[in-house]
Parts: sequence; C-alpha cells; structure tokens
Amino acid sequence: MNTKKDIFWRIGLAYLFMIMLGAAIAWKVFYIQSVEGQRYRSMADSITTRYMPVLADRGNIYSYDGRLLATSLPNFEVRMDMKADGLTHEIFQQGIDSLSGCMAGLFRDKSTTDYKKQLTAARKRGDRYFLVKKNITYPQLLQLKAFPIFRYGQYKGGLIVLQSNKRTYPYKELANRTIGYMRDATVQPVGLEGAFNNQLTGIPGKRLMQKVSGGEFIPINDKNELDPQNGKDLITTIDINLQDVAENALLKTLVANEADHGCVVVMDVKTGAIRAIANLGRNEQGVYWENYNYAVGESHEPGSTFKLASIMALVEDGFVDIDDTVDVELGIHQYWNQTMRDAERHNLTRITVRSAFAHSSNVGISKLVEQHYNKDPEKYLSYLRELGLDKKLNIEIPGEQQPYIKDTKDKRFTRYSLPWMSVGYEIQISPLQMLTLYNSVANNGVMMKPYLVQQIQEYGLPVQHFDPVVLNKKICSDETLQAMKIILKEVVDSGTAKNLRNPNYSVAGKTGTAQIADKKHGYATRIYQSSFVGYFPAENPMYSCIVVVNAPSKGVYYGSAVAGPVFKEIADKVYATDLDIHPAEILYAENQQLIPQTKAGSRHELLYVCNQLGINLQAQSNQPWVTQQSGDSRQLVDKNVVEATGIVPDVKGMGLRDALYLLESCGLQVSVAGAGAVLSQSINPGAVIQKGTNISIVLSL
Amino acid sequence: MYYQERPVNKGIDWLMIMLYLSLILIGWLSIFAATYDELQPSIFDIDRAYGRQFLWIIGALLLAGTVLLTDSKFYPAFAYVIYGLIMLLLLAVFVIGSTVKGDKNWIDIGSFQLQPSEFAKFAANLALAKYLSGMNINMKLMRTRITAIIIFMLPAVFILLQGDAGSAIVYVAFFLVLFRFGLPGSYLAIGLYVIMLSVFALVLDKYLLILILFVVSGILWFVSRRNRSIVLILATGFILSAGYVLTTDFVFNNLLEPHQQQRISVLLGKEVKVKDADYNVRQSKIAIGSGGLWGKGFLNGTLTKYNFVPEQSTDFIFCTIGEEYGFWGSTLVLLLFLTLLLRILHVAQRQRSRFSMIYAYGVAAIIFFHLLINVGMTIGLMPVIGIPLPFISYGGSSLWSFTILLFILVKLDGDRLAVLR
Repeated sequence: MNTKKDIFWRIGLAYLFMIMLGAAIAWKVFYIQSVEGQRYRSMADSITTRYMPVLADRGNIYSYDGRLLATSLPNFEVRMDMKADGLTHEIFQQGIDSLSGCMAGLFRDKSTTDYKKQLTAARKRGDRYFLVKKNITYPQLLQLKAFPIFRYGQYKGGLIVLQSNKRTYPYKELANRTIGYMRDATVQPVGLEGAFNNQLTGIPGKRLMQKVSGGEFIPINDKNELDPQNGKDLITTIDINLQDVAENALLKTLVANEADHGCVVVMDVKTGAIRAIANLGRNEQGVYWENYNYAVGESHEPGSTFKLASIMALVEDGFVDIDDTVDVELGIHQYWNQTMRDAERHNLTRITVRSAFAHSSNVGISKLVEQHYNKDPEKYLSYLRELGLDKKLNIEIPGEQQPYIKDTKDKRFTRYSLPWMSVGYEIQISPLQMLTLYNSVANNGVMMKPYLVQQIQEYGLPVQHFDPVVLNKKICSDETLQAMKIILKEVVDSGTAKNLRNPNYSVAGKTGTAQIADKKHGYATRIYQSSFVGYFPAENPMYSCIVVVNAPSKGVYYGSAVAGPVFKEIADKVYATDLDIHPAEILYAENQQLIPQTKAGSRHELLYVCNQLGINLQAQSNQPWVTQQSGDSRQLVDKNVVEATGIVPDVKGMGLRDALYLLESCGLQVSVAGAGAVLSQSINPGAVIQKGTNISIVLSL
Repeated sequence: MYYQERPVNKGIDWLMIMLYLSLILIGWLSIFAATYDELQPSIFDIDRAYGRQFLWIIGALLLAGTVLLTDSKFYPAFAYVIYGLIMLLLLAVFVIGSTVKGDKNWIDIGSFQLQPSEFAKFAANLALAKYLSGMNINMKLMRTRITAIIIFMLPAVFILLQGDAGSAIVYVAFFLVLFRFGLPGSYLAIGLYVIMLSVFALVLDKYLLILILFVVSGILWFVSRRNRSIVLILATGFILSAGYVLTTDFVFNNLLEPHQQQRISVLLGKEVKVKDADYNVRQSKIAIGSGGLWGKGFLNGTLTKYNFVPEQSTDFIFCTIGEEYGFWGSTLVLLLFLTLLLRILHVAQRQRSRFSMIYAYGVAAIIFFHLLINVGMTIGLMPVIGIPLPFISYGGSSLWSFTILLFILVKLDGDRLAVLR
C-alpha cells in the first residue's frame, strides 16, 4: 500500500514539524522566564519605576519686619501633543473653534483666529510637543483645563502641563539689585540671592515614581524616599517702607536732574544694619532701573565728603582746633602749577576752621593738611588707614571694590597728592564705605560693619543669627568726636546744607560736589557728582544716610541741591512714622503704669507673661495657683487650690483651660456654660470629692 | 429520513468546544488585564476593550450556534459561493475601506469595523477543501497544484495589496495542507531552503556565502559525480542560489517596507539605525520575562497594566499571560492550544468525507501558523508580524472568523457518520 505509506510519512512529518516548533516556543518561553527572568525583572522595574528628584522649595527673602521680598511661585507651561492617541479628527474639529476663543479670552494676547491658525497648523504638522503658552499661573491653569479639547486630558486632548517654580519679587524694583538673582551657571550671581544661594537652595529629595498610563508618573511608597530639604529663609535688615521712600526720592531727583545714575543707603546707626539701599541707573531709553549696585560696587573720588577724615586727622593729631582760623584766599589757591578752587564762589578770607568745613572750602582744608603733614605725609595716610578706609567692608553681597588710598611709595604719589587727597580726590572709595565712616561718628566713635542679613530661618525658626560687628571700637578721642559732631551740624545749620534745616529734627552731615574724571576727557568735561552724607537726629542719631547722584545734567550740581532733598525726604518719612524719634512724647512713666486685669491661674505663667510685658506683679507666696487681689492690683494672692488632696479646688476667676485641668484631674465630670473666666462653680471649694460627680461651672466675660 | 431525527448535539466533539470556551475566557480576562482602567473596573463596561470583547464573545457564541444549526451539506455546496462573496468583500475594501493603523483593510458597519481579511481565511479553506475533494483531482498534475495554490493565494494577494503583509503570510499555511494531500516534499524543502538562504544572505557576507555554496555544491558533486543529472541540478541550483543571494539586498531594501526591514533586522540581531525599532519585542520580552515562574498575579502586571507593551490587547496579548501568570500560565495556554491542534488532527483523521478531512487540516494549519507566528514574535523567535492569537486577542473580526472556522469543522465532524461526501 504505497499511498498509505506516503500519507503516513507526510502526517508524521507534519506532526514532527509542529512538535518541533511547539517545543522551540515552549523552550524559549521557559528560557525567557526562568534563565533570563532575573534580568527582565530588573529591567521591568527600571522602566516602570524611576527615582525622580523632588525639587526643594527655594527659601524666601524677607524684610526685617517680615515682609516678603522674594519668593517662589509655581508656574506652568502648557504644551499640546497633536498626535495624542485619543485626539481624533472629530474631537479636534469640534473643539478647535471654542478652544481658540477661550484661550484668546483667557490670555488676551492673541485673537481667536490667530490661536486657531496656530493650533491647526501644528495639528497639520503633527507636532507632538507644541508650545501653547508659557508662564501661566495656577488659577489660569485650572481654567485652561476646563476648556474644550483640553478637558479630555493628556490622552484624548493632548494636554501636557509642565511645572516649574518662578522666582517672584512682590516689591518688583525695590532693592532689586541688592536682593539680586540667581539664574544658571552662566550668569554671574547677583545680590543676596547669589551670596546666600547655598542656604536658599535647599537639597532636592528623591522619590520612587511609577509610570502609569498616559506617560504620567505616580509616587509609590518606598523606604528609600528622601524628602527634599527646603531652602532656608533670609531675614534681611531692609525696611521696606524706608526702601520705598529712598527709591522714590532718588528716582525723583534723578529724573529732575537728568542724572546718569545714583544711589542711596540708609543705615541703622547703632548696629550698622542697612535699612534701605537703592541703586538706579538710566538705560538707553532714558528709564531708570536697578541696573547695578552702585552703593557697593562703584568706587569713585568722593570729593568734599572726604574732608571729614582730613579734619578728623588734623584735630586728632592735635594740629588744629576747630576754632582756629585759616585763610581761604577768596577760594583760590595756587599749588605750584595747579590751582585749587572752592566749589562755590565766595569772598571770604580768614575764617575759622569749622566755618571753612561748613562752607566746604577746598582751599582751607587742603592748606591745613598740606601745612601740617607736608613733612610727614605718611602720618596722615596712616590715620586714614587706621579709619579702615583702605579696606574692604566684606559686606555679604558680591561686587565690592577695593578702596584705593595711595601711599607715599606709590609712583603716582606726587607733591600734589596730599592737598588733593585731603579734599577727596586721588582716592577711591565706595558710597557704602564713606557712609560707614560717618556712621561711626554718629555712633560715638564705634565703627560698625554694614550688613544686610540679620537672620537665617528654617520653617520659621532661626538657625543662624548675625550680630552686629564692630570694626573699630574707637576711631578717635572723645574730644575729636565732639568737634566732628559740632562741625557736621554746622554744615546744616549755617553751611552748604542749609536747605536741610527744619524745626522738627536736626541733621548733621556733609555735602560733596566732586568733579568726575571722564575716562576720555579727564576733568575737562565737567561732569559732577553730587552727594550728601549725614545722620539724624543730630543729638541722638538713629539713622545715617548717604545719597550720591552722578552726572546731573541740568546745570545744578551742588551736593546740597541735588542729593540733599533725597536725604530730607527719607528723614521726613522716618520722623513721620517712627515713634522712637519722639522721646518727649512717650507718656507712660513707670510709676503711672496701669495694671491690667488678669484671670486667675498659674503663678509662674502669670508672672512670666507680665514680666515680658514689663508689668511688675508681686506674689505673696510660692503657691502655684494665684489671683489678683483686686482688678488692678499689683499684688497676687493665693487661690484655695491644693492639688491631689481630694478636695474640690477653687477655680473662680480662672480661664476654662486651667479650670478644666484642675477639676478633671481630681476626677470630677465638668459641664461648662458661657465663656470667659469662671464666675461660679456648682460644688463649693473645700468639699470632699466623690470621683465621677458632676460639677458645672459658669463662665462669664 | 434517517438524519432528520438527529438532534443537533449528537456527535458534537465536546472536547473541542470546551477548549474553545477556555481559550476565549482566558482571552477575555487577559484583555481585561491588558486594558484595565481603575476608573472603569467592570469587565462589562463597553467603553473599554474588555466590555466590547464581551459583546464580541456573545456574538461569537450566536454565530457558533448558527453554524451548528446549519445543515452540514450547506458548506461543501456553497463553498465557492462563500469564497466568491468574501473575495468581492475584499475587493470592496479597496473602494469603501477605511484605514486603521496604516492598513486599509477595514469596512465600517455603523460604529463597528469589520476586517474582511480575517473572514477570507475560512472562505479560502472551504474553497480549497471543495476543490481538492472534487472528482479527478490528481496532485501529480501541475495544473491541479497551480489551481489549488491560486485558490488560497488570491485572497493573500488582495490582502497584501491592502498593506497587511502579516495577514497575507498566514495563507502560506495552506501549503502544509497541500503537502498532506500529495504536494511533493521538494516544494517544502525548496521553501525552507529559500528562507534559510535569505536569513544567511542577510546575516553573512554575500561573497562568503556564495563561496560556501560553491564548496557545498562541489562536495555534493564529488560524492555523486557518476550521476549526470545531479551535476546539472547542482549547477542550476548553485547559479540560482548565488543569484538569489546577490539580489536579497535589493529585495530587502526596495520591496520591503522600512518597518518590515527593521523587524527582520531586529530578529536577526543586526544593528538597527532607528532608535527603539526593537521596542515592541524588547518590552514584550521584559513583560514575559518579568513574570517568572509563577507570574505576578491577575491585574498585578505593571507593564501590562500601564501600557508598556504596544498593541497588548491584540497582537501582544501573550505578554499579559506571560507577565501575570508566568511560566505555568504560558505553558497552560500553549498546552490548551496543543491539545486543540492535536484534537483537530485527530478529528481530521477520522473523517470519512474528503472535504471534511481537507477542511480539518486547513483549520489546524491556520491555527498552528497563527500560534507559531504570534507567540514566536512576542518572545523574539519570529519577526514582528501583526496577526492575532486565535480566540485570545482582542477583536471581533478575528474572534468571529476563528469561531466560524472552528465550528464549521465541529458541525462537519458531528455529521461525519451521517453522510458520505
């Protein structure tokens, strides 16, 4: 039977073929699942789960009175996947018109037609990551998520939302340059954001996330999860009210004088804390903005304000008394080939030193310095160095310049150097360094280091506190200091800054009008720098302040006229708002103190609270529970409370918390009515307690 | 009449039906796991694939009932008519078809889509069985061979033109049927030789391969040098093979679509320029491999649940089984299929009618081919060819077509004693 044999081997072959292939499949499945299983399991874990960084919140920056200067807000970017699996032709066509309309309505940046055109074009291109809108807020995002098409979410609506944190500055330009910014590695960090970046940044955490449908990741529980450590907060010394006044006053002056740039620094006399620091420069469009920290970073020839140091040296070294006289020669003196002129024309000849200072006579001051230090210029220079004028202040923020005080070994030290240095030329110091000198006069000779950050906090608790730093305990003798205070006050009372005089408070300070050397033309172009530096109130200084206005171009350039008004506006503001400046008006004398009525309660707590408020109460014994003898009495008397004796305590006059504590801790059931202090209790004090008995107390305000 | 009194269930092969029911149930649960959505956790929710598959299963059971209630003489009688109608439907696709995932092989019927290429399988099987069971059929005649091949390759060509190369390849399975009924073994041998040659041509250096061919031919010639005709065959074979080897690159690069080239390259372990060209297979192997011996458990497969494997409810459904039930689950499913196939072959052998027997072999061949390719591709043994796993994969057309395919056999088998055809 040939046919049968033939069929038999054909079937046999077919079976064999099937079984071989079947075996191959079974073997491969087994191989993948057992032999390679371990590898695939770890691969499965690695593609379905991933450690994702959890960004730490950047710390906030606060003003010294706790107002937000810089914070981070979430910020969203919306993109669209035009080829999302579920985004069908129908969904897109039906929703595109209303979506465009909604977006035009929400953002108001493009018309409905524009939006529709863009979205349709992107759809046609099949763009999978089309940028719809950047920088939208959370409320906007919520609205957007309800729009047609987008309301279907990522899978059907193609909506992709990316979150980032955006740094925002609630006070915008205020102290902008000092608060600064921290962008990426390529941009030079600026201000406090840069200087305290490490503290502000925090440490990112990591979290195990699992990928779920639609490409989203959800967190899963994991022991190795690392919480992010949020950045710490900075509490600066900035007083936002003063900052606001300073910035506005400076702006007004800059605009009025069409100046190139200017700065203001206000410092707390006692501590050196900077309360305001404003820096404005003009851009090409003529608009002023915080473009550079001039107060810290711009060293320049200070001009007349530097005369304070010269006079201080002369008086301290005993060469001159402020009541001595000096011939100011009608304001013109010839030093060899160079002429020294006073900034303001006058017809004075021999006047007192104090009056030469008050009128800011270059001739007078330079003659005195030249006369007394000619033989030993190093003596004068060493005093300047003793004042620390040649050293950096090392303020927190970057950008401080090295001050430049020539010494006699310097090649550029000529015979002209001494007289010109004495009136603030041929040296370079920054406004902040100049202010530090004046502040130490105001602070009775104690030179404080200026600082911007008083505390670093974490979750509202201080982690690092910066105390004021003394740079120089005594910059001169008391007599010299007195003399300096007198002549600085005289500048305002009868000298170049008479316009700052006012009946409410007194000011001491010094004007400065310096010619600036232009890089190209030297002093020939007659560019001026007007400044005023001083402190107020003159008798009991609270704040010192420097104002520098560079290159006023309206013909007025005297320090008093240009910089003075800025100083005055700040001082006026302080006078109007700061109660401490009105000592005579504080009426609450110690012996007239009113004693507030307190609730009965713990002796320890009552004494502590009143002590903190400066109210002096007296207790008759060491009993833990007390009450006032009468409503406004200073005397505390004991309550009839003996804990854990089985006797009902007297809770009359106590607050609810204390009353409940005492009654319940001796086993009574308490029912309460009313609010305030306990007026009556249903079981009289002194009764024997039966555990679980009900006691009702009535409270009243 | 004698068989008018026969109840419908008499002679039904219940084992095949039980296997069928087990497989569609496993399929339904796997689809549930593969497309599971926590928000729509009901397996009957028709917004999700699992709910729709439920509807398809109901439809399939109704179809099965209809097939069983139809007189078994209907199938041989109307084999050519059914074949003709389905061919018209396949042609109609070119006119009214809609495109899904690049293949224009769907016809919209209301909100559902029908894939005529699936139904062409049982139609071709019926027509082939009808033709080969006819009078005066002699497989030794070239004319008979070519007619038979045309019958089942015609739908394959139509389907290929629709862009669905995967579904077209399945029709190669009918060569196995032809082989069983007398096609010379050389056809299969040549087929296997061409496949092997293609693989070697793509993997090895062309000229090295030609050199090897030359050496092998030389040795064969030396061994049988006394036989003149062998020399001629060897020479012709060598020249044709060398020519084929030299043209494989052209065929590969110009006649295959880029994604097909990538899939083949991936399978052969060659470097693929396109990133993630092996994504499907890699993800699929990770899913199956991570299942391990015992699996991760129902609805616990992370790759399954979160859509890591593309097309998981359809072509890559085997991953779900592999991941969630592990090796024992995969083996169970494969054993069910093996049992079904062996049962079908057993059923084939007991047929008295030649039509039924040929039809039965056709059913076995088609199911076997699907199983081989589908499971083979999910485990990286075969190139990625997008065809469903019978009874398991999501999709109405495929489920219905396999149901009809199988239940015609059940019906024919049930009536095997009743009549001689």
